[in-house]
Amino acid sequence: MFKTARSKFQTWITAGAGTIAALLVAGLMGAFGALPAHAPPQLPSDAAIDAGPWRVQPVRAYVSRAKVYGVPLKPGQKALVLEADMTNRTAQSDKAYFNVFKPDGIDLPDPLPMIALARDSTLTPELHPGMTERMAYVWPLARDAAVPANLSFGVTAEIFKPRDNLYGTPGWFNPYRLGTVAMPVADLPESGS
Amino acid sequence: MKIRAIGNLLILCATVALSYGMQVSKPHYAELTAPIPIDGAMHDTVRARSFDVRLDKVVFARTLKTNQFGQERLLTTSGLWAVVTADLTATSTSTTVAGGTWQGPTGLRYHHTERLSYRQDMPPHAVDPDLERNGLFVFEVPPDQIRGASLLVAARRFAPLDAQARISLDAVPTGADGQPTDVLPLYDLDAPAPPQGQTQQGQTQQGKT
Repeated sequence: MFKTARSKFQTWITAGAGTIAALLVAGLMGAFGALPAHAPPQLPSDAAIDAGPWRVQPVRAYVSRAKVYGVPLKPGQKALVLEADMTNRTAQSDKAYFNVFKPDGIDLPDPLPMIALARDSTLTPELHPGMTERMAYVWPLARDAAVPANLSFGVTAEIFKPRDNLYGTPGWFNPYRLGTVAMPVADLPESGS
Repeated sequence: MKIRAIGNLLILCATVALSYGMQVSKPHYAELTAPIPIDGAMHDTVRARSFDVRLDKVVFARTLKTNQFGQERLLTTSGLWAVVTADLTATSTSTTVAGGTWQGPTGLRYHHTERLSYRQDMPPHAVDPDLERNGLFVFEVPPDQIRGASLLVAARRFAPLDAQARISLDAVPTGADGQPTDVLPLYDLDAPAPPQGQTQQGQTQQGKT
């Protein structure tokens, strides 16, 4: 019985040696990098998302034509606003939240949003470990820019390295796209905020 | 001949083990250049390299009242406001003290709040030799990060190889659930300081206003 098993195995190896070698060489030369990448997953909009150093929960998105959370708008501009509950998951106060959300498929004059604390409109304060705060991401847009009624926001996360390669200190590195979260975008009238 | 080969092998193994041990036990760059802590307790003068600091009192409040550009602002928080009053003096030359961090019992670090605009009594504190100066450090902290916390005071926020006063806040009275016993509903940063020796009374009066 063992003899037949061994001979079978030997036959498999002999017959497959070429295939195995071809796969190995192709893999080493990076042929599989040309495969279509997986689309980033759709994240739930009604649950908290662990995005690296931040735990985020989008609350609502809207377009405003008036000043929101103290963020000034130039004449001829409107603002796309995303409000999200954010929690700092790291061990110290930090404000590296500028790239967490990015609206997909919209032409932004300035890719970096203005971010305000919803509590009292402080611009870009540090968030403290474990203290959830509602933050408003404000992207100024041209007044005539089209914003779809259902917009997906890309969520960027980072990985934690206990020691980075340069100084050996802990930190968050290598941002990657965690997925997208789709939010209905309300269009607020002129007087609304 | 055989014994010699075995001996060589043994020496090689010992060298590899020793080198590995040295590599593993070598302190990392972050540890080598970390701030140098100087421990102390509340109401003691802690002598750091360029300044002396003495922590006088810690007040907890749910809301802070402050004046900004002539307008009154009420600042709320999802945790508690901790307002730490410190006496600061420079040791040999005029300098500034800018770094204030609240370190919770598990090592979480809460930096001085950025929600207050610049004020005279907020960091960076300008300090001079032999002139005592009152300075405030204001933090937003969750209630469970108060018992067993310590305050880290340094000349700068990032102060590698510089002294860092590490003042334990064990003297802060906390209840059985770890919450501070005295939490004011409102603390006015602009109210005149209560006279010395009546701190407790002054606080409660201030809380009622």
